[in-house]
Amino acid sequence: MPDIQLMGLLNATLQAATLLFIAALGELITEKSGILNLGVEGMISIGAVTGFMTAINTENLFLSIIVGVLSASLFSSIHAFVTVILKQDQTVSGLILTILGLALSSLLGKKYVGKKLMVKVESIRDIAEPSNIFEVLLSQNLIFYLAILLMITTSFVLKKTMFGRRLEAVGEDSRASDSMGLKINKTQFIATCVGGAFAGLSGVYLTLSYVPFWTDNMTSGRGWICLALVIFGGWKPYRTALGALLFGFLEALVPRLQTYGFELSPYLVKIAPYLITIIVLVILTIYKEGKTGAPGNIGRPFFRENR
Amino acid sequence: MLKLSVGSINSLSNSLNKAIPLILAGLGIAIMNSVKLWNIGAEGQIFLGAIAVNLIYININISNSSLFIFILLISGFIGGAICILLPAITKVFFGVNEIITTLLTNYVIIGLTVYLVNGPWKDPKSLNFPAAAYVGKEVYLPTIFGKLSSGFLICILFAIGAHYLKEKSVFGYEMRIAGGSAMTAIYAGINAKQKAFYAMLVGGGFAGLAGAIELLSQTHRVSPGISQGFGYTAIIVAAITGMRPIGIFLVGCLFGALTIGGAVIQTIGVSSYIAEIIQASTLIGALISQFFFTYQIKEVEDA
Repeated sequence: MPDIQLMGLLNATLQAATLLFIAALGELITEKSGILNLGVEGMISIGAVTGFMTAINTENLFLSIIVGVLSASLFSSIHAFVTVILKQDQTVSGLILTILGLALSSLLGKKYVGKKLMVKVESIRDIAEPSNIFEVLLSQNLIFYLAILLMITTSFVLKKTMFGRRLEAVGEDSRASDSMGLKINKTQFIATCVGGAFAGLSGVYLTLSYVPFWTDNMTSGRGWICLALVIFGGWKPYRTALGALLFGFLEALVPRLQTYGFELSPYLVKIAPYLITIIVLVILTIYKEGKTGAPGNIGRPFFRENR
Repeated sequence: MLKLSVGSINSLSNSLNKAIPLILAGLGIAIMNSVKLWNIGAEGQIFLGAIAVNLIYININISNSSLFIFILLISGFIGGAICILLPAITKVFFGVNEIITTLLTNYVIIGLTVYLVNGPWKDPKSLNFPAAAYVGKEVYLPTIFGKLSSGFLICILFAIGAHYLKEKSVFGYEMRIAGGSAMTAIYAGINAKQKAFYAMLVGGGFAGLAGAIELLSQTHRVSPGISQGFGYTAIIVAAITGMRPIGIFLVGCLFGALTIGGAVIQTIGVSSYIAEIIQASTLIGALISQFFFTYQIKEVEDA
């Protein structure tokens, strides 16, 4: 296999992985606090469409990224309000976020379908056909490096800082944390909104770099793969990154299979990543036999009066 | 919007036709929820139900058309159950999260549909529009009044059936225990895994039947447009009613009207996404009001 083709595959892998990883990392933070947010798909869409709209109208990239991140975070605060403050079912609320986010983004983005973007998050160095790993890394853009930075920071904050330990304590055992005087609602609310912000960044990466245009439902299930990634990574940032690379590789590999001489229907090829995700998830769950590393209180609302 | 969706016999029957898949898929979701499992894969099950109907239609020919329709409906039900087989097996035996597996199956099945209607089943007469050939008129579901399909009667039957299954039957009671507390189930000698497995298959079957009815009464052919997000809307329908079958029937009718209303107002320049947004917002409202029901301020007489 020629080097250029291999490097092209690596390049596509890194890009697909970045998109998945940022949102998965956000979901990881949310879930660490004991809140399950199934609305990743919706939050990514909201971030993607608002970022794209801002980019079209202002041609200011920095502003677009900020708008995308903040609007997704604001959107996720619906989930925070319903589940953290009102203690309602997290599954239902997360699903609403997905459905509402997809519909709302389609509504907002209706006039922007097919519009051409004048600005784009540019690569560090513009290399048409990277021929070695170093060049591949250089041809990634700022958000890719931001993702690496976020990964290191998140891992550090979760393991080494007071905030991270408290976050984990809240997710692990809300009652004990409450008697220790930790603010459950505040921690969970913040964690949910941070998760939304990360998903927003992922959405901005989608529309301003990965596929620089807007169409309806363009997230095409990636938000759900992010949820699988968190399980895959055992709620650990680095392992989640590894999972993102694996899934990114699959997403990049599948459309290239034909050029490598495999005779496959392009329609069937599109199914493969989803099927493989299911299979990986099954293997992983069997392998770990219950010891998945899930936060003890995930999905369960905390009622102070039941203490 | 109200007038356009329920104002005449025609539009009323359109609305109720749209309600059929919502109600059936919603009932399936509710049955699965009695064992505290979530079915996010109703969309895929609807598609596989329709695919199963077409598969049987192509390969088998029965001259008695009402018997044929009956067999096709059953194959739709089985198709939906097959669709959820993988999530059910992996959930029951290995504890794999069913929310993610049922959801991802949607993408697999919709991908399969797109493959079929572009490849093996492609109707040359449909030119550039990817779709399978139409089924013959002999297997169309008869209409009751206006355009209302007799699928609506099936819907009523299944809603009542699901109500009895969930609330009155031994199986429903055992499902509730199995879903409520694993320990209690063991003490009571209830095989919780078996109950969960059956509940998942029946839940998937309901959605598959919805796909079969949609195919035999509305689209008459397999195409990517068989379900327009019915499986997802059905989740809202089921959740709003707190998983109560009779409630699902009523809210399903309402949401069917909303969907038709949404499609009609599109022609006067308002986006049809408004309907989805209204539906999702209704559920948020329902969740919020749930909070105030739970935390009602009650006056209590001093003892």
